[in-house]
Amino acid sequence: MRLLTKITLNLLSISLFIFLFGMVAFYYLLRYQVDQNINLELEKSKRIVNHLLVSDQLSDSQLANFELKVLISPLNSPRPPVNFSDTLIYNKAVNNYNLYRQLGYAYSINNQTYYIQIFKSLEETDRLIVRIVIIMNLMMILIIITLLIANRYSSRQDWKVFYDTIDKINNYDVDSRMEFSLNNSDIKEFADLNRVLEKMTDRIKSDYLNLKEYIENASHEIQTPLAIINSKMELLLQWGDMKEKQYKIVADAYEASNRLSRLNKTLILLAKIENRQFPDSNPVNPAIMINHQLESLEDLILSKKIKITRRFDDDVIIQMNPYLAEIMLVNLIKNAVRHNIKGGDLIIDLSEHMLEIANSGPPLQMDPELLFKRFHKSSSSPESLGLGLAIVQKICVLYGYKIFYSYQNETHIMHVEFGNRL
Amino acid sequence: MKILIIEDEKTLSDSMVEYLSEEGHHCEAIYNYFNAIDKLGMYQYDCIVVDINLPDGNGLDLIRFIKKRSISPGIIIISALNSLENRIEGLEIGADNYLTKPFHLAELNAHLKSINRRISYGGNNQIIMNEIKLIPDEHKAFVRETEVILTKKEYELLLFFISNKNKVITKAGLAEYLWGDYMDLADSYDFIYTHIKNLRRKLLKEGCQDYIKTIYGLGYKFELT
Repeated sequence: MRLLTKITLNLLSISLFIFLFGMVAFYYLLRYQVDQNINLELEKSKRIVNHLLVSDQLSDSQLANFELKVLISPLNSPRPPVNFSDTLIYNKAVNNYNLYRQLGYAYSINNQTYYIQIFKSLEETDRLIVRIVIIMNLMMILIIITLLIANRYSSRQDWKVFYDTIDKINNYDVDSRMEFSLNNSDIKEFADLNRVLEKMTDRIKSDYLNLKEYIENASHEIQTPLAIINSKMELLLQWGDMKEKQYKIVADAYEASNRLSRLNKTLILLAKIENRQFPDSNPVNPAIMINHQLESLEDLILSKKIKITRRFDDDVIIQMNPYLAEIMLVNLIKNAVRHNIKGGDLIIDLSEHMLEIANSGPPLQMDPELLFKRFHKSSSSPESLGLGLAIVQKICVLYGYKIFYSYQNETHIMHVEFGNRL
Repeated sequence: MKILIIEDEKTLSDSMVEYLSEEGHHCEAIYNYFNAIDKLGMYQYDCIVVDINLPDGNGLDLIRFIKKRSISPGIIIISALNSLENRIEGLEIGADNYLTKPFHLAELNAHLKSINRRISYGGNNQIIMNEIKLIPDEHKAFVRETEVILTKKEYELLLFFISNKNKVITKAGLAEYLWGDYMDLADSYDFIYTHIKNLRRKLLKEGCQDYIKTIYGLGYKFELT
């Protein structure tokens, strides 16, 4: 649940509670006030009735004049105290009970004590109270709704910074050259969050760059000792008087140091691609390069009896660093030849928008997702460095190409989409 | 051929001197920029092998220095830096080749041989090795005046063998010479095997001696008896 929704719901439930409680309290308060008011009026009526009694002018017409409803009965019992109460009186006209407020008191005149009850209809005031309460309710509901909406809207404005931050972190790439900066916020929590995040990403970035630099330096420094080892081994191999066993030992060591050299060179290349150290893009004609590569692999293709199908648009030109273009194509084509079966097909589709290289072969034994991972290699070729496709992928990323793999009809297909960067 | 090797790493320099001396070259080794300028000022060399990163200077400046003179020698750059800019710059100011460390001595030797041919015969030459004749300009090979039709790689392979005759050539060295860096070279060995099988077959068919000896687990040797 979003925090905003949660806050809104909390607010809503609290306001509902207060609203209900408040309304009941309001009703009774109002009632009390009205009763007080009516009591005052009844007191006033009491004085009028007493005056009428004293002056012996009490009559129905007089009472009607004063809009009084009075009940006078002689009293023999002890005097009850003055009291106010609510009572229901049957009204014949509407065949219903009506609510009245009554003032009852004893009054003595001419040695005769009377119990006098003065009634005042509560019907109208009651109706008024109900109306007031209803109007108040409506007002309150309106206010709550307005508040909620206003709160939601203004919160959304305030939260914008937060969502912006989330979005930016989501898209954060430690490898990108883009400056990572978050929006300022006048809300302390968000400002704190952004500040901490910026500090964190700065640190991650500098750690990452340090590490990268370290690896690059190490790789470069390794080159010279490797060159020495290799050259010494090569000299050693030229000694004619070695026994086969000795040859074997030197050969194994030489092989290993060669692997290390290749690995190192490849890693340096990968780092360079990542560092965008191949800036110049030139128009490159992939068709020519592909043909050239196929030519250099001709012997192997013939020996494997691979049938090549070229579906080229010969005039396709892509903007790439020629060196990287060649590395990309070489690796893709070599893969397709290497993993091909005897008498298999090698189909190369080249159009303005994409390149597809397909080769026959049994299904992949591993997760296709791992194909482009560094050092991931099929068990069938332990000699392989497992970096070929990683390089291809890096090059594709560099130029914003999309590369993906699919397998259908016993054919492996590598797709490279050039996108809009033609 | 008189060769000056300018490389600050003494052990590596020694290896080069030893390998190239066996090939009959006269090699001199210099370990820093300052002495190199001295030597280059005084003597004439057929070829210079120069490292870019010298302790007291830049190899590229040495090349510029050499290039000012009327007779310029062949130049091969060896560098641990495999940056394209360096490579392009080096070749632009007149180097013949750019080898990235670690490189194979056989490869260096092959490049030197080709520079030697260019200098000695202006490139217009033939390589004759017993019954085999190569015409580098035309990429053609003959056995006793009969042309052997070779693929481009087979021709390069033969040239490489002849340049490093009587030396043990490793498969890795061959692969790198034929396909360059950055290839996942694992199965290049299969490729090499195929190439060599075909080359041998083609040569034998024309009655050539079987010079190419396999050295188990290691590579090959072009053996002249």
